[in-house]
Amino acid sequence: MSQIDFLNITKQYGSDTEVLKDVSFSVDNGEFVFLVGPSGAGKSTLIKVLIREEVPTSGDILFNGESVLQIPQTNISDLRRRIGVVFQDFKLLESKNIFDNVAVALDVVDSDPGVIRNVVPNVLAMVGLSNKMYNYPKQLSGGEKQRVAIARALAHEPDVLVADEPTGMIDPVASEEVVDILEKIHSLGTTVLMATHSQAIVDRLKKRVIRIQDGIVKSDKMGGKYND
Amino acid sequence: MTKIFENIISTIKKEKLLSISNLLAMTVTFIVLGLFIEVIIYSQTALKMLEQQAQITVFFKDDVPEERIMELRAQFQGDGRILDVTYVSKEDAFEIFKEINKDEPVLLESISANILPASLEVKSKNLSSLDELAEEYQVIDGVEEVKYFEDVIERFRYWSSVIYVVGIVTLFTLFVISYSVIIVTLRTTINNKGIELEILKLVGATDRYVKKPLMYQGIFFGGLSALIASLFLILGSVFTRLLGVFGADPDIYLASLKMDSLVFSVLLSVVLLLSGILLGYLGSLTAVKKYLKY
Repeated sequence: MSQIDFLNITKQYGSDTEVLKDVSFSVDNGEFVFLVGPSGAGKSTLIKVLIREEVPTSGDILFNGESVLQIPQTNISDLRRRIGVVFQDFKLLESKNIFDNVAVALDVVDSDPGVIRNVVPNVLAMVGLSNKMYNYPKQLSGGEKQRVAIARALAHEPDVLVADEPTGMIDPVASEEVVDILEKIHSLGTTVLMATHSQAIVDRLKKRVIRIQDGIVKSDKMGGKYND
Repeated sequence: MTKIFENIISTIKKEKLLSISNLLAMTVTFIVLGLFIEVIIYSQTALKMLEQQAQITVFFKDDVPEERIMELRAQFQGDGRILDVTYVSKEDAFEIFKEINKDEPVLLESISANILPASLEVKSKNLSSLDELAEEYQVIDGVEEVKYFEDVIERFRYWSSVIYVVGIVTLFTLFVISYSVIIVTLRTTINNKGIELEILKLVGATDRYVKKPLMYQGIFFGGLSALIASLFLILGSVFTRLLGVFGADPDIYLASLKMDSLVFSVLLSVVLLLSGILLGYLGSLTAVKKYLKY
């Protein structure tokens, strides 16, 4: 059984803007999948419907066999803890230091302070930011901010890590570092679904590549390249 | 709990003017509510006391024998409208007169018990029957004069009702203002924290986690303003007692409640505090439902 199934997803805004048109594909447990395609192709919308930030106009999304659309509003927070998300614009809390930015992911589910004290340094070590634990986001580079966002997404040990253009706002060197971290996380068994524009990254990693264009799946290749 | 207070303090720092307006509006509301309750309770108990003390005094002509007066007394006592009847003989009236005028010996020397009329003091069960009873007594043979103070009591009752109506309207208006101020304050907080709340939701925060601090914020403002208002009223009660504003014994106004005025103020504070918390809770609930969209 696949871990994620997008089943005939259509998403329409208003009466004439169709962002996704009958999109279907599946992601298996432990896979690393690139979602590529031009801006406005519908990659981010797919991620949003996966975490129920958006509701598709038609179709369904199964996560571990369970319909995401059938999850009651009060349980969406559970889904979002099982799917860690990294955003292009980092979405860090500027008023909190790095430790607290990661801790917030555990704090929101009333985790024990002892657990928070253990987990946060571990995930920050995993992304190489142990030495910046008490810095504030404004004191970090773009690449470092994105690593904090990854650490925060990992705090719950999610089944899937979804990254929406994680290198879109950082320089190429920092992008390489971020992708190396994602690959490391993948090698530890976590499914990674990454939307990107970066041809260099996609071509270097040689993973499964799903191309979305004009709201439909144009191609889906294992070990593919950006332009396949 | 520390985190909740940190959140509230941070909000107050960020929205100083709005927080102060919120606190002031609600404090004024609760002071008015407290004063209103005090005035209502005091005036109602005073009215009850006045009603209980209201009596008709039936004065008899000098030639009416005591037996006849005692007959009438027995007759009055059998009347269902009457609570109590007391006979005041000429001698009793003279004793009362002496007591009242004890500092004026010249006056006392010139008056004897024969000058003063005997009377029956009639207390009715219901204030409204005073008029009717007075009319009936006026025509009894041997009765010289019937006196009662219905006007004073009626005027007191009228003004009590006016205070009651004006108080209710004022209070309702202030409650609406306070309720709106809470909602506006929270709307500003929600708008200012928009991105933060969105991030919290995206990292898996439950609704409860996001809403809790906002709810506590409203409850805090409601509770704190009610507390300030309560302290104000308790201090007011202490000072009026010390300064003797309502005479030597202010507790007389609460006689029918069988309660010390300070104890009454403390109980009133509890009522205000609960009202504050409730108002804060309801205001927060509305604001969170209306404006918290993520």
